[in-house]
Amino acid sequence: MADLDPWLAATLLLPIAMLAACGFARARARIPDLLWLVPLPALFTAVVAPDGAELVLPAARLGLGLSFRLDRVGAMLLGAAALLWLLAGVYARAGLRRTPGAAAFAIWWLLTMLGNLGVFLAHDMVTFYLFFTIASLAAYGLIVHDQSAPARRAGRVYVAFTLISEAMLLAGFVLLAAATPQHGIGIDEVVDALAQSPWRGTTMALLITAFALKIGLVPLHAWMPLAYSAAPIAAASVLSGAAVKAGVIGLIRFLPFAAPPPHWGQALAAAGLVSAFYGVGAGLFRANPKTVLAYSSVSQMGVLATVLGMGLMAANRHTAIIAAFYATHHVLVKGSLFLALGIAASRGWRLWVVAALALGLAGLPLTGGALAKAAIKLPLSDGAIGLIADLSAVASAILMFHFLRCLVCAPDAEPAPPATRLRRRAWLLLALACVAVPAALFPRLELMTWGEIFGPKPLWDAAWPILVGGLVTLARQSFYDRLPVRRAGAELGVDHALLLISRRFGDAVVAIDQHLRQWPTAALMFVGLVLVLAGALLMR
Amino acid sequence: MTDAASQSVLPVLGIMLPATGMLLMLLVGGRYVEWLALILLPAGLAVAAAIFAAVWREGHTLIYVVGGWQPPLGIALRADGLSAAMMLVTAVIICATGLFAGPQFSQPRGRPERRAPLVFWTLLLAIWAALNAVVVGADLFNLYVALELLTFAAVPLVALTGGTETIEAALRYLLFALLGSVSYLIGTVLLFAAYGTLDIALLSARVRPEPISWIAASLMTIGLIAKTALFPLHLWLPPAHAGAPAPGSAVLSALVVKGSFFLIVRLWFDAMPGLLNLAAAQLLAGLGAAAILLGSILALRQSRLKLLIAYSTVAQVGYLFLIFPLAGAASEPASSIAWTGGWLQLFSHAFAKAAMFMAAGLIAEALGHDRIAELGGIARRLPISTLAFALAGLSLMGVPPSGGFVAKWLLLLASVMQGQWWWAAVILLGGVLAGAYVLIVVGKALAPAGAAAAPTAPVSRRREVVALTVALGAVLLGLVPLQPSELLQIGRLDVHALAAR
Repeated sequence: MADLDPWLAATLLLPIAMLAACGFARARARIPDLLWLVPLPALFTAVVAPDGAELVLPAARLGLGLSFRLDRVGAMLLGAAALLWLLAGVYARAGLRRTPGAAAFAIWWLLTMLGNLGVFLAHDMVTFYLFFTIASLAAYGLIVHDQSAPARRAGRVYVAFTLISEAMLLAGFVLLAAATPQHGIGIDEVVDALAQSPWRGTTMALLITAFALKIGLVPLHAWMPLAYSAAPIAAASVLSGAAVKAGVIGLIRFLPFAAPPPHWGQALAAAGLVSAFYGVGAGLFRANPKTVLAYSSVSQMGVLATVLGMGLMAANRHTAIIAAFYATHHVLVKGSLFLALGIAASRGWRLWVVAALALGLAGLPLTGGALAKAAIKLPLSDGAIGLIADLSAVASAILMFHFLRCLVCAPDAEPAPPATRLRRRAWLLLALACVAVPAALFPRLELMTWGEIFGPKPLWDAAWPILVGGLVTLARQSFYDRLPVRRAGAELGVDHALLLISRRFGDAVVAIDQHLRQWPTAALMFVGLVLVLAGALLMR
Repeated sequence: MTDAASQSVLPVLGIMLPATGMLLMLLVGGRYVEWLALILLPAGLAVAAAIFAAVWREGHTLIYVVGGWQPPLGIALRADGLSAAMMLVTAVIICATGLFAGPQFSQPRGRPERRAPLVFWTLLLAIWAALNAVVVGADLFNLYVALELLTFAAVPLVALTGGTETIEAALRYLLFALLGSVSYLIGTVLLFAAYGTLDIALLSARVRPEPISWIAASLMTIGLIAKTALFPLHLWLPPAHAGAPAPGSAVLSALVVKGSFFLIVRLWFDAMPGLLNLAAAQLLAGLGAAAILLGSILALRQSRLKLLIAYSTVAQVGYLFLIFPLAGAASEPASSIAWTGGWLQLFSHAFAKAAMFMAAGLIAEALGHDRIAELGGIARRLPISTLAFALAGLSLMGVPPSGGFVAKWLLLLASVMQGQWWWAAVILLGGVLAGAYVLIVVGKALAPAGAAAAPTAPVSRRREVVALTVALGAVLLGLVPLQPSELLQIGRLDVHALAAR
C-alpha cells in the first residue's frame, strides 16, 4: 500500500503548491483556469484506495506532528468531494475569467478545498482541527466574494457561528486529550478513552454542538440560508455539497458508537428530526431557489443527524458507513442542484434531469437517492421510527417540488452568467455521478442485495412519498397560487439587533479604555493594585 | 546550587558583546555603524545559540561569577533553560529586525549624516544587552539596572521619527515606566532591609511569608506590571507601539514588554517561591483575563492597523499571566504543562507580533496610510507581506501548526486538569475574538481595491521576505511536541529544592 503515499501527499501538496504560486503575479493570472486540476490526486487516491483496508501515515513518518489515514468512510467522502470540487472548478472557470476578484476567489477556493479534503484524511485531533479550521475560515472569503451588502451580512453571521464552533471544538478536543492516558491525540484512542472520562457529558455536549453548528442543525442553522444565498453559485455548490461534510465526518469520527453514553443518541436524533422538518417548512416560504436549496440542506443534514443519533442509541457500528454513504450522495446531488441554477436549466430536457436530481433527495426510485434512503432505513427501520422516515421523505418531496416551481417561475431571480457548453457538460457529468457513484458503492457496503431494492414492494415504498408530495404540492398550488416572498434568514432578524448590541458593548469598552488611559485614573489604579495584591497575599 | 551547574563565560559574553558594540558605534559613527551591526548581529546570535546548545546538551545551568566573588559579596550570572530559550528567541528577533531595518536605517552615501540610523542601531543593541542582562541576572539589584537600561533604550525608539504625537507617546511611556521603576526599587530596598541579600538563590531560602515581604512583592510586581502594560495599566502601550517605526514596534511588542514579565516570573517562582498564594495568583490571572477579553474587543474596534496590532499585544500579554495560577500550584504534571504553555505563548507571540508589525509597516509604507477600511487590493500588490500577516494571525488565533496553537492547547489542558475551567473559557473566548480581528484584516486585504485606490509606493522585496520568515518562525514553533518541555525545567528544580530546605 506504500505506493498510495505519493498520491495521498499530492492530495494535500498540490493545493499548497498552487497557493504558493499565487505569490507570483504571472502565475496568479493563470490559477483560476487551473482550479479544476487540483482535486485530481484526491480523486485518484479515493478511487484506487484498497477497499476496506486502512492506510495510516503516522506522525513520526512526516515529522510535522500531523498524521493521516485513509479508510472506507474517508475514501467515500474524499472521492465525492474531490469530484465535486473538480467539476465545480470547471464551472467556476468560465465565470472567473478576467474578473477583478478572480485571484482572491481562487485563493479562498484553494484554501477551502485543502481544508475540506484534509479533514477526511485526518488521523489525530490536531490534524483534524487544522484542516477543519482552514476550510471553515476560508469559506468566509467565498461567501463575501461579491462584496454586496447581503454577502457581507452573510459573511459576518457565518464568521460568528464558525468561530464559536471552532472554540467549542477546541474545548472538546482538549477535554478528550485530558481524559486520555499520556494526553494522546489519536482519534481512535481518545474516543475509546471517552467512556472513562470524568468530563464525558461536557465533552459530548461540546463536540455535538460544534459539529451541529457546522452542519446547520436547528437552531444553529441561521448562517446556512444566508451564506448559500449570498455566495456565488460555484461556491454555494462546493460549500453545501463538500464543505459542510466536515461536520458530518466529525460526528462520524468522534461519536463513541462502540460505547455510547446514555441520552446523547436520543438528543442528537431529536435535534436531527426537528431540523429535518423545520428545514422543509421554512424552505416552503422562500422563493429564491438558492435559499430553498439551503433549507433543503438544513433538512437533509437533520436526517443525517437523526441517523447518527439512532446509531448511537443502538450502539450500531455500521452507522458510520451508512451515514457516510448518505452523505456521499448528498455531496454530489446538492452540488449539482446548485450548479443547475447557473446553466438555464429551467426548461427542456435539463429540467427533467434537475427534477430527477431534486426528487432523488426524497428517494425517487432508480436514482442514487433511492439507494441512500434505502441504506439509512436500516437503522431507522422499525415501527414508529420507520414512519418518521417516510414522513421525512414526503416532506423532502414537497420541498423539492417547491424548488422546481421556484426554478421554473423565477429563473431570473438572479441574473445567471452566460452558460457555456463546458459548464453544461460539467454539470451533466456531476448529475450522472449522482446515480453512478452510489450505484458503484452500494454493493460494496454489503448492506442489502439489489433484489431488496428492485422488488415491487421496495420500489413502491420509495415511490409513494413522491406521489404524496406531488399531490400535496398540487393541492397547495390550487389554494395559494403565488410564490412566497420571505428572504433568506428572515427568522434571523436578531442578527441586526445583536450587531447593534455588540457595537454598543464595544463602544462601552472603548469608553472604559479611554477612561483608564487618563493619567489620574491610571495612577490611582497603580496604587490600588499594589494594595489589592498585598491584601491578596495576606489571605492564607 | 553548585551541584548542577557549570562555570561558563558565555552568559557575560551575551551581555558584553552588544554593550561594547553599542559604545563602539557611538565612537565610529557614519556608515561604519551599519557595518558594525552587520558583524555584531550574527556574532550575538552565535553566542545565544552557543548558550542554548550548552544548556541543552549538558542539561544544567551555566554560571558566571563576576570577578570571582561569590554572592552575596559579588554578583553571579545564571543561564538556566528558560534564560537560554529567551536569549535565543531574543537574538533571532533582533537579527531579523536588523535585517528588516537595514534599508530603512542606512546612511545615504555622499550626503550629510542623518541622526536616525545611528540612534536606531545603538538603541537596538542596547535593548539586546539589557534583555540578555534581564534573563541571566541572578540578583534583584542587577535586574533593576538591566530593567532601567531596557526602559531607557526602548523609550527613544518610540520617538525616533520625531513627530509631536510620537514624542507625546514616548513621554507617556517614560513617565509610566519611571513610576514602575520607583515601585520596583522600593520593593527591593524593603527586601534588602528585611533579609540582607538581593541574590535570588539566597533570598529564596530566607524569605518568609510576613507583611514586609508581601508589601515588597506587591510593589515590585505592580511596578513590573506597569512596564509590561498589563490591563488596566496599559495606558502607554497603544500609542507607543503604534507610533514607533515598524522595526521599533516589532522589538517593543515582541521583546521589550516580555523583559519585565520575565522578571515577575523570576520574582514569584525563583526569588520568593512559596509566597504566591491562591488569591494572589487568581488576581494576577484575573487581570490577564481582563486584558485578553477587553484588549481583543478594543483591537476589533480599531480603524488603524497598527493600533489594532498594539491592542492585540495588550490582549496577548494577558495570556502570559495565566501561568501564575496554572503553573504555580504544586500539581504535576499539570503545572509543568502550564509552565511550558505559558513560555511557548511568549515565544510564539514574539515571532507572530514581530512579523505582524513588520508586515503592517510595509503595508503602511506602500499605501501611505494604515486605515483598515482602505486596505482593499493590498494582497495583490504585497502578497508576501499579506501572507506574513495572515500566518502570524493564525498563530495568534491558535490554529495549528503554530506556536500559538501548542501554547493554547497546553494552557487549556492544564486548566482543565486543575479544574480551573474559567481560564479555559477565557482562552477560548480570546481565540474567537482574535479570529475575528485577524479575519477582518485579511478579508479586507484580499478584497478588490476600491475605485479611488491610490497608487502604491514600491516596497523592498527583501524586507517582505524577512517579515514572512519571522512569521514562519511562529508556525515552526508549532512543531514542538505537545508535551511539557524538559529544557524549560532546567535550573528550576534546584531552586525549588533550596526553598524546600
